[in-house]
Amino acid sequence: MRRSVALLAGFALIAVLAGGCGKKSAAPGGKIVVAVDVPVTGSPYIAETIKHGVQLAASSTSSGTGGVLVGGKNYGLKVKVYDNHASARQAVENTRSALDAGAVAVVTDGTGVQATWQLAEQKGVPICITYDGASGLVDPAARPNVFRIAPTNHGIAFRYAEYLIPKGLKIGLLHDDSAYGQEGASDLDRAFSENPRSVALRMTLPAGTADLSAQILRARRSGATALLVWGQPSTIAAVLTAARSIGWNVPVYAPPTGSDPYIRQRLADHPSWVDGLTFASSRLTAEVGTTPFENFQSQYESAYGVDEVGVKTAGGKPVVQPPEFAMYSYDCVNLIVAALTRAGSTDPRKVQAALNQVTVVGANGDERGFNQHNHEGVVDDDVYFARFHDMTYAPVKDDPLSSTLPAIPQTR
Amino acid sequence: MRGHGVLGSAVALCVFALAVTAGGAAQPVGQQVVLPGPVPYPTDNPPLLGRTPLPPAYLGPLLHISSTDRVVVGVGPDGRPVRVVAHQRLLVHGKGDYQLAISVPVEDVQAAAGSDSEPGLRTDQVLWAGFSPGRKVLAANVTLRQRAAGKYLPVHLRLRRAGDRVTLTVINTTPTAESLYAGTTHRAELAGLLDATRRASLAGQRLTGAYATFFGRVRVPKQKVPIEAPIRVEGELRLPGQAPVPFSRTLGDGQPLGFRVEAHGSGTPHVRLLARPVPVVRLLRPPGAATWVDAVRRRPLPAAFLLRRLLETRMRLVRADQYQSFLSDPDADGRSRSVYEYETVAASAPRVAAAPSDGGGGTSGLLVVAIAVGSVALAGGGLVFWAHS
Repeated sequence: MRRSVALLAGFALIAVLAGGCGKKSAAPGGKIVVAVDVPVTGSPYIAETIKHGVQLAASSTSSGTGGVLVGGKNYGLKVKVYDNHASARQAVENTRSALDAGAVAVVTDGTGVQATWQLAEQKGVPICITYDGASGLVDPAARPNVFRIAPTNHGIAFRYAEYLIPKGLKIGLLHDDSAYGQEGASDLDRAFSENPRSVALRMTLPAGTADLSAQILRARRSGATALLVWGQPSTIAAVLTAARSIGWNVPVYAPPTGSDPYIRQRLADHPSWVDGLTFASSRLTAEVGTTPFENFQSQYESAYGVDEVGVKTAGGKPVVQPPEFAMYSYDCVNLIVAALTRAGSTDPRKVQAALNQVTVVGANGDERGFNQHNHEGVVDDDVYFARFHDMTYAPVKDDPLSSTLPAIPQTR
Repeated sequence: MRGHGVLGSAVALCVFALAVTAGGAAQPVGQQVVLPGPVPYPTDNPPLLGRTPLPPAYLGPLLHISSTDRVVVGVGPDGRPVRVVAHQRLLVHGKGDYQLAISVPVEDVQAAAGSDSEPGLRTDQVLWAGFSPGRKVLAANVTLRQRAAGKYLPVHLRLRRAGDRVTLTVINTTPTAESLYAGTTHRAELAGLLDATRRASLAGQRLTGAYATFFGRVRVPKQKVPIEAPIRVEGELRLPGQAPVPFSRTLGDGQPLGFRVEAHGSGTPHVRLLARPVPVVRLLRPPGAATWVDAVRRRPLPAAFLLRRLLETRMRLVRADQYQSFLSDPDADGRSRSVYEYETVAASAPRVAAAPSDGGGGTSGLLVVAIAVGSVALAGGGLVFWAHS
């Protein structure tokens, strides 16, 4: 008798446990389209890394929770990739196509946003920029649907002023004539406007020109003791080539393009010419440590392999590129997912409004989010400086923030 | 973000929850009973709370934040608040990251002069995020929802005109009912605790945790007592073409919780008033001696009186500390200071009340509170008188 009671109780327990383990699944809601508009044929590295970040977040959402729970229904995320060829005109076409496809949000490098935001705003669709830091692109009052997770030109320029002016350098402010270079130059002008004595000269360089020896000679003759070059990776490589080939070991500073693999590939035959190149970008790790970013990097590499730079260290180890911009697009999609859930609707306008109210833990462990007054997901304070040595870079030690940051492993 | 909440008012809860009994039933043994302070606060607000859940916050382990709030209250012609703006200045000390969210019924927020960063805004949240290289100022002008914030202001004003007489009534609105507790205690120990509390109060320091020894049962009388934050108010009532009528009082700390000021003349009255929570001074003054320990040595002050005075004054200090943070300080251990500036902002004349020949129209709240405090003061005074006799 006692045995049968125990048996019965055992069955009852199992039944209860089984019931508890069962998961109530939400009704399927179909697919939610997230469009990715990137310069696949213009800047392939940037396009690939942004695309991979979006895809990784979308697949994590599907595999982790089985989809996005929106208003009691479970949706899958569908990523549609468009190639804008680094052309604003093409970006407009792509945005139209994405809207026709019912995209709930557009993730972009920033190409053509000056023209595309209004199109998207007509349907209330949010745009998330994950590369271009140009000032004026993001304005919560005038462009309520434009958000950005990427270091801003404004933040980088002012952090450079804060970093370089106390060093007593005479700085040559160089920029190329690409849109990126010109936008950066205007932020540099503002940042250094109150300390004109720190500036030795300002000069515009032709983008895409391999030989800048005449311009660099002029910069040297101006008395510059440092060069801050705001331009495409090819421009930075050309400046380094021109300066080092005449034996001028002037310190060279750059915006985030300074970390582009192109520069190291271009100068692979002269690795010492890259040594000392300093660039500014947003920190890859939070104060909580390197673990969150390393986990993200591990996920990223499992899915897409390492981003090989194509050069080796002096010791013969292949150099890889940390997935920095993938981190931004990854966080952006996670914020869109959080906004969808909070909005309880796939109506883009509601998602856009909810984007102002949600926070997620970013790939680097930092809290990531926007608010009603600020659509920048990277605060200016998070801009740090890193310097190359032996084809890899590490945070500098003479800046309060950078000195607290660990180096991210970049060899395999 | 310091401990607060309605449950916090149940001081008795702390008493029993933290009491450490020495065990053994053979003889009466002392138990250490925690005294009020520094937390919990007896009510949920202040610091003001918004309606939305806060996102996760982060404050680097080496960072400390002190907070200064200047709460500017625009009052209408009848003296009621029509606009409340808090100018909060957070001073971050130390090197490290911060991601802060301050819960507050906010309409809008703007960076204030001198801020090193821009605040973010979400529904009922003010946000700050960044890196402190060693020192950083985060200053914001926070426009509060008047209806949500106004009811937690420490002082209410009423302006009434009757003929050529304008009456300003100022009332301390901080009293809240709290439970005391009673039992058998050591007079000498209580005197020492009163002296320590007095030293902290006079030095403007926040209370630290303290215990008293009770023998036998600890009782919680059913009747609660009103506990206020002592508020110092200074200001003036002015009528066009007339000399201003200045005033300067402490509301509470054994003194009345309200007062009236009159001015005569025509035109629109203008009030300026500065209110700030202040330490308990009067109620902690030892009777007839330099210290409470000396006072107890000279004459046998009843232990029940000493205990009640100790509990009530510590509760008042907690209440005053609560009003030092009108907006939350994101650092639970940070030092907070708040001042409240009231000024008439409407150009129109105050609402003309039916001529209250006996002045009875506006007395009820003031008189009730004043009578309550008066009776408490009288009871305390009576005990002292008895002790001296």
